[in-house]
Amino acid sequence: MRAAIPTLVILVVMILAVSLLGVFGSPLLLRVVIGAMINLVVVIGLSIFIGNSGILSFGHASFAAIGAYSAAWFTLPITMKKIFLPSLPAFVLSTQVGLAGGAAIGAVTAAITAAVIGVVIVRLSGIAASIATLAWLAIVHSVFSNAEALTKGTSSLVGLPIETNLFVATFAAILALVVAFLFRFSRYGLMLQASREDEAAALASGIPVRQLRLVAFVISAAVVAIAGVLKGHFLGILAVGQFYLEFTFLSLAMLVLGGMRSLSGAVVGTFAVAGIAEILRILSSGFEIFGLEVVAMPGLREIGLAIMMLLILLVRPMGITNGRELTLPWKRKTANELPITNDRTG
Amino acid sequence: MRLVAEQLTVNFGGLLAIADVDIDIGPGEIVGLIGANGAGKSTLVNVLSGFQKTRTGSVKLGDSVLLGLSPDRIARAGVVRTFQSVRLFSGISVRDNIAAAAAVLGSGSESVDTLLELLDLADRPDSDAGSLPYAHQRRLAIARALALKPKFLLLDEPAAGMSPDEIEDLDRTLVELRDRTGMGLLLIEHNINLVMSICERLVVLDGGRVIARGDPDAIKSNTAVKNAYLGTEGGGH
Repeated sequence: MRAAIPTLVILVVMILAVSLLGVFGSPLLLRVVIGAMINLVVVIGLSIFIGNSGILSFGHASFAAIGAYSAAWFTLPITMKKIFLPSLPAFVLSTQVGLAGGAAIGAVTAAITAAVIGVVIVRLSGIAASIATLAWLAIVHSVFSNAEALTKGTSSLVGLPIETNLFVATFAAILALVVAFLFRFSRYGLMLQASREDEAAALASGIPVRQLRLVAFVISAAVVAIAGVLKGHFLGILAVGQFYLEFTFLSLAMLVLGGMRSLSGAVVGTFAVAGIAEILRILSSGFEIFGLEVVAMPGLREIGLAIMMLLILLVRPMGITNGRELTLPWKRKTANELPITNDRTG
Repeated sequence: MRLVAEQLTVNFGGLLAIADVDIDIGPGEIVGLIGANGAGKSTLVNVLSGFQKTRTGSVKLGDSVLLGLSPDRIARAGVVRTFQSVRLFSGISVRDNIAAAAAVLGSGSESVDTLLELLDLADRPDSDAGSLPYAHQRRLAIARALALKPKFLLLDEPAAGMSPDEIEDLDRTLVELRDRTGMGLLLIEHNINLVMSICERLVVLDGGRVIARGDPDAIKSNTAVKNAYLGTEGGGH
């Protein structure tokens, strides 16, 4: 783990630098930066499971939803709860906690849920596991859309105290980074990464693959849940649709683009996508260049992002970081990276 | 503590892969398992290591039953295998390939360094395992298995694709390891000349059945073996 400390330092500095943009930028930029920090918590959370186990999960938006709503049940002001969600249990109706308490409640609820559903998911491997996570997302989305008494169903739940500021979001991002770092460079992280490379060989090496996958799944669900809580308390409003396919694919795109095998990839990918998306959004509303007026191009952001992803993945299929961790230049290994393939199977 | 398997039978949809196979290895013994391709050698290793389920027969390590346990539990119990197709953790470093297995026991980095030295892999521990030359990959697979401090090591064609010099080195290392740790070795080979020199006992499989067992000299002069196997170009490919 000690050898990887420079990586942690570089990533923390990167997060703080982006955070500073928010401090000195316009109010609009501040909102963009806070949004990017919340996304970063999601992507780091995803990478704890996906990066170490190698199993792509389409289901983590469910944990953001579970975290966001279970926290909101407790953080909504009591008077508002009685109006909007009158059928919550009495002790919930009479309790109000702050954002930290809400985050703890959200993380624990998501972790417990993940521990239950995870038992099923970790029995599967590869694409079957991924499809199971997608099915799980559909279940949660459907339940939340119809549980009128808990979520206001398809309409929005409003009135959440707006407590997610730049400091809170940055703190959460660094906390998520440290959790992910400690897991990745622990012996459990190493064993799980071995199973990512070759599951049969990992089993033959005595590695309890399913158990480790479950541990990673639960930790990553808890981290993603915290992002969901922050998101609710950033916008002040929750809607079930916030935690569905767009959420899923945007966060996965960030992870894949950065390089899903490394923690650095999660950070670089999130900031790259968030930054480019913002530039494209500004351009899409039209601009003037050398006296030429470029008209507004709605949809430029989505199309531009998609094209950029295609191009990057074409050039670097393993993501911007190539699946490696960022480190100090003089610590980069000099060993040859060119694989001599010897695919002798028998 | 002996590794004892009795009456193992595996059936792939009516096709008998192995039938009524008994095998018994003691601590410190080097037993060779030979037979042509398709004779059932790898199936037997798969059963012993928990990768192939079967309902008939028994596998025991001392008094504890291994048959029916998952592969990872069998490995932690001290019966560790390697694969004919090597199966390294290609995208992670040479050192971490060994460290991942050592982590199962909670062993520290000294034991990893010792294994790197022992199997002559210390020159580039930070390279990706998949970038190693072939013979190095085979040695790394053995180092990784040794990180679990096995009581019995099942080596599935460890010398495949190695040059005669490399094979000689490997044989020497294996004997030295056995002498030092007292572990039992099951050496699966289809190249019979290879196992003759270091095995004390041989078991010969043909068509999924044991057709002969005994010391190398007895096997060499065994008629059934000659007919089934030695007659066919010494079994080498």
